[in-house]
Amino acid sequence: MNTILRIAAEEWRYWLRSYLALGGVLVFLLLVLSSSILTKLRIDAETHVRTHQQSAAEQTFLDQPNRHPHRMVHYGHYIFRAPAPLAIFDPGLDAVTGQAIFLEGHRQNTPTFSESAASPDLGGLAHLTPALIYQLFGALVIILLGHGTIVREREAGAITPLLSLGITGNTLLLGKALALLVFILLLLLPLAITSVFALSAGETPLAVLVLFGVYLVYLCLWGAIVLGFSAIMRKRGVVLAALTGLWFVMTLVLPSVAVNITTTTVTVPGKIETDLAMLTDRRKLGDGHNAGDPAFAKLRASLLEKYDAKRVEELPVNFRGLVAMESEQKLTQLLNEYAEARIDGENRQQRLLEKWGWLSPSLAIAFVSRAIAGTDLMHYHHFQRDAENLRFSFVQGLNRAHAEKLSYQDDINRNKDEASWQRARVDASNWQVLDAYQFKAASLTERLGNASSSIGVLTVWFLAMLCLLIWSGWRIKP
Amino acid sequence: MVSRDAMPFDLEWLEDQAMSARKTCLNEIRFATRDRTLGLWMAVVLMLSTLSVGSGLVEVRHQLKTIENLLGADQQDRVAESSKLNDWGSAAYYSFHLTYAPPSEFAYAAIGQRDTQPWKHRIRMLALEGQIYEQDVINPSVALIGRFDFSFLASFVLPLVLIILLYDLKASERTAGRYNLLESMANRAESLWRLRAVIRVSAISVCLITPMILAGWFARTGFSTLLLASCAVLLYAAFWGVVCYGFSAWRKSGSVILISLIGCWVLTAVVIPAATRLLVDRLIPVPSGAEILMSQREAVNDAWDLPKDVTMDAFFKRHPQWSNYQPVQSSFEWQWYYAFQQVGDQKTEQLTNAYRNGRLQRDYTASWISLLAPPSLLERTLQSLAKTDLSAHLAYEKEVRSFHRALREFYYPKFFLNEAFDKAALANRPEFVAGK
Amino acid sequence: MHVYQPRLASDMMMLQVDSLHITRSDKEVLSGISFAVNRGDVYALLGGNGAGKSTTLLSLLGFLVPSQGRVCVKGNDVCDNVAAARRAISYLPESASLYEHLNALENLEYFLGLAKVEVTLSDIESVLDRVSLAPAVRTRKLGDYSKGMRQKVAIALAMLRDSDILLLDEPTSGLDPSAIDELHRIIRGLADAGKTILMVTHDVYGACQVADRIGLLRNGKLVGEFAADGKHPIDTEAVHKAFALNTDSVPPLSV
Repeated sequence: MNTILRIAAEEWRYWLRSYLALGGVLVFLLLVLSSSILTKLRIDAETHVRTHQQSAAEQTFLDQPNRHPHRMVHYGHYIFRAPAPLAIFDPGLDAVTGQAIFLEGHRQNTPTFSESAASPDLGGLAHLTPALIYQLFGALVIILLGHGTIVREREAGAITPLLSLGITGNTLLLGKALALLVFILLLLLPLAITSVFALSAGETPLAVLVLFGVYLVYLCLWGAIVLGFSAIMRKRGVVLAALTGLWFVMTLVLPSVAVNITTTTVTVPGKIETDLAMLTDRRKLGDGHNAGDPAFAKLRASLLEKYDAKRVEELPVNFRGLVAMESEQKLTQLLNEYAEARIDGENRQQRLLEKWGWLSPSLAIAFVSRAIAGTDLMHYHHFQRDAENLRFSFVQGLNRAHAEKLSYQDDINRNKDEASWQRARVDASNWQVLDAYQFKAASLTERLGNASSSIGVLTVWFLAMLCLLIWSGWRIKP
Repeated sequence: MVSRDAMPFDLEWLEDQAMSARKTCLNEIRFATRDRTLGLWMAVVLMLSTLSVGSGLVEVRHQLKTIENLLGADQQDRVAESSKLNDWGSAAYYSFHLTYAPPSEFAYAAIGQRDTQPWKHRIRMLALEGQIYEQDVINPSVALIGRFDFSFLASFVLPLVLIILLYDLKASERTAGRYNLLESMANRAESLWRLRAVIRVSAISVCLITPMILAGWFARTGFSTLLLASCAVLLYAAFWGVVCYGFSAWRKSGSVILISLIGCWVLTAVVIPAATRLLVDRLIPVPSGAEILMSQREAVNDAWDLPKDVTMDAFFKRHPQWSNYQPVQSSFEWQWYYAFQQVGDQKTEQLTNAYRNGRLQRDYTASWISLLAPPSLLERTLQSLAKTDLSAHLAYEKEVRSFHRALREFYYPKFFLNEAFDKAALANRPEFVAGK
Repeated sequence: MHVYQPRLASDMMMLQVDSLHITRSDKEVLSGISFAVNRGDVYALLGGNGAGKSTTLLSLLGFLVPSQGRVCVKGNDVCDNVAAARRAISYLPESASLYEHLNALENLEYFLGLAKVEVTLSDIESVLDRVSLAPAVRTRKLGDYSKGMRQKVAIALAMLRDSDILLLDEPTSGLDPSAIDELHRIIRGLADAGKTILMVTHDVYGACQVADRIGLLRNGKLVGEFAADGKHPIDTEAVHKAFALNTDSVPPLSV
């Protein structure tokens, strides 16, 4: 044990005396810290703005004067997605997805205006976040510092004397690994600080702990790769070049290649294509604005029978309102079918992408990180489902008011003159059907469940690299 | 001895020089062919380049196919809706028109903004602002990672390959104890290193560019576009070659040189672009898109409750030629409906212009700063050659706007001159032609 | 322009080092050494580690520029025309490592191409015969060679270059006795064929065997010079001094 500690301490002394290593680490820490601060400021500002916008939108809706209820269905409402607490570390998909959805009758809108839409395009790496820095440059800094650990001793001819002192290859490796582990923990310090802020913003301690744990595993697996290469290869230059090559293939090339292959294997039709495909189905449903549409004949017959009436004018409820309800319900069902098909397609793409984690651990950690931070595809879908539920509930609430609070006579005569125009209205108190909204990240169990496959991939990677390390320890010979 | 200065135009001497230069080159090339590391990276680059342009071609074909399908479906939909049409107003209301920007013949090399900005819409004569920002969402998981297109390969991955191949140009010979031997052997030592660097850079560049050119031939890309793109990539490779060459002359160990070069890459490919983006976004404010949508929607919704004169006056200010039109005394009429749609657009004009100009200005500023970040510069250059940059997107937006204006110009006379509805006349509606 | 140069006795002087001072990173490593090597001679520079032996060779190749004094190759100052000096010289660095991923023939072809020396394959084969490198190993990669075999290829390279002067930096270090013997035989043969050879070594006995003249270098100064032609006695004390040896602990030198 003493030997291991001594080897580790020696390695640290070497690092502390190497300006290059120190410089590299300093640059990394500077990058992470500045990015963390900037991201935190931005996310805090956005949280503030979106919470404010959300309550403002709700207030505006409630403040609308007495109106025809269907006007309110079209007036609509906005919902905003406030970032999850851990988004200050990994904003994830937020950069490319819209954060607001306009809700209205008869339509499912998509989230609009992503942050990146108005930003200048300076290449894919310009969206720097603390998470991305860890995923990409954490690995690079470990390569920078760790590549020489064993091969340096070998080039200096120090391996033989060390081994002749009775130190085994694995002891040597363990000492170096310990030094690297301490270094990795140091690298994770900014993440720890960020986590404290996330905790204070209401994140559960366990989530923060898991996030810290997966990044530790990720960086350690890179550490194992680096040590293994350093132990097996004979020349320092070759080790560094091989590791750099491996690094950019894993972090830059493979993820994008995975995207190319995934999008050609599983295609998800765009919105316009879906809209057009849906039209045939929609025509069968009938136009909810037109109570005379033959599509509603059955509804009319059943209502007349139920209330024992001859004509719709005799019904105690507003037939037009009921038609609106019925058609909205059927339409929503149809829209949801298509929406679920799209979500399903996106999930299938996601699962395919996750499989590429077997080739590139940085892809795996990216998925785990986003899942735990609550900024992944699942949360994006959650937001859309939330939006749809809210939309359906307030639209149907308004339609119910239409059916129950507005007489059929007033309704059909609304365009006759100014007076009937004014009469065809319901009281503004009916707008209370709108629920308040606040986006909440899923429970930790659900987030972990979603990340489980990538966590599995990461664990297997880690164990495999550990085996590589032990194997290379045996191979350290004079 | 004959001094060379005495006969500066000695042809024989020149020929000798050329001959010997050729031999030196051939000797170095033969040497390079036995270099397994170089061979490996050439194979990797060739494979990646083929993969990138290959999937670029597939994507472009997919987009063209989508447009073709949509054109058909769009046409069918208009035919299917035509039964509902019984006046000009409903004709305008129920008829959607497909607008689109087809991918250019070079788009396979740089998909660029086509993944993040909309390039197809279905437009009708309602307020345009509510429609033009509608976007086909692509899977955000996919959008975040980004495609592996040729521009990404050339801009971000190529420098790393060159760095790995060139950093120990001299350092490896120094550690192997060959440096002095090589220098004492070569007549002009510096030219040996230069030649080696040039051969490695050229070999990698050829592997990178060839698939792109072949794909260009396949996709019928214009010769000048291919030439410009090749020149840009070669110039860029040469730039990194010079940088690596400069660093490799440093009398330090190979690892120090390699790490410094990777530092350069991180600085120019990541830090400067990221800082630029932050800075530009902060310095040049752009109204949020949601603001445009909301104010447009408020304007259109409020119009229902406003006295009709207010709307009509605002409308006639823009279209005085219809101002002698007499409104009918009903609470709803199409003329008024479309007038408030247009007034809704008019109310957000300022915001829309600010949004557009802000984006342009951000892009313009970024293009200047990208001179400091060659990877961004090359990617932007390739995107502009492929017409997948912001200005191409804004040009498409302009096309959509002018098409929408043409629609209004078609319908307004029908409304305000109270022309009798004539289904056959609908065939004369303007049609969207891409690239006009 | 023709410059008339009288044929002098100094024309025999192929290498000439004249009160040479060299400073490397603010430290004077050579302080005023002078010697000359005549055509057909083997001159051995003897000295311990850090005496300045390799520095002398590098200055002859123009890699290092004198702070004082001058070095001449074939009567011309090296600094005036480095390329000409290098053309006249074949240089064999210490533990000359040629490319390990190439075989002997490929290595020779490459380096000769670099030096713009036109040779045929049979030239190469015959020189390899002369250094007695077995034909069977000639197409094997140098990575599989023993140190002696590599040194033979390096010597072959120096021979094939067919320049008048050979600079050998520690040519025998790390070789076994029989390989050293063979190497000495080759060097002697080259000198007899009219080549001028300057070798640096710390192998006292070897130097005495192969060299015509021996210079003793210590701390950047030439502390002794004598002929090793068997006719003159060797200044054993000077040799011991040059290596800072305890005179009693080494056997006496004999030629």
